[in-house]
Amino acid sequence: MAVAVEYYLLLSAAVFCTGVFGVLTRENALMFLISVELMLNSANINLVAFSHFYGNLTGQVFALFVMALAAAEVAVGLGIVLVLYRNFGDIDVRDATTMRW
Amino acid sequence: MTTRPRLRDPATFVTGIVAVALFVVLVTVFLGAGFEGAVGYSSDANITATIGYALFGLMNLAGESAPASEGFLAAFEIIDVVLVAALVGAVMLATRDDEGGDGE
Repeated sequence: MAVAVEYYLLLSAAVFCTGVFGVLTRENALMFLISVELMLNSANINLVAFSHFYGNLTGQVFALFVMALAAAEVAVGLGIVLVLYRNFGDIDVRDATTMRW
Repeated sequence: MTTRPRLRDPATFVTGIVAVALFVVLVTVFLGAGFEGAVGYSSDANITATIGYALFGLMNLAGESAPASEGFLAAFEIIDVVLVAALVGAVMLATRDDEGGDGE
């Protein structure tokens, strides 16, 4: 009944590579944030899959902490997107080429 | 306005190849690792309740049939502080400088 752990790893690798492609090619800062979330969620898939693989709940509890960290990261990221829009009139990540303006 | 990145676009072709190559490398490693069958949880284990006990470091109260886990009380409190800091940071970033706001 249980799915073999290799398939969880394949799904996780596919989601992670989608996130990497998005981070490298996206220009919209919001899409950039979503791509980072994809990479974090692929790590979550691995944690839960190996939690079941070893019969130990530590991985599932840790996946909850990763979700909380992702929420904190999105809160700060949206604040940065807001400042980006206020200063450049656009949310293109390539506009902010220096750390000051 | 959002547009999806296209692999045929010359600007994203190389990064697309890099992402697909990374996926191929990962798949090769995963399929060659040779995992055994999963241990799994016992059928009478209450997973959600055990996660709750593990979050508060009360694994000694979780019962005999509960799956093993470490206690996470310290990490739970630290993530609490991190979330509050992120919320305050987001409000500080979103506050307009010229209007003042409650930080002034």
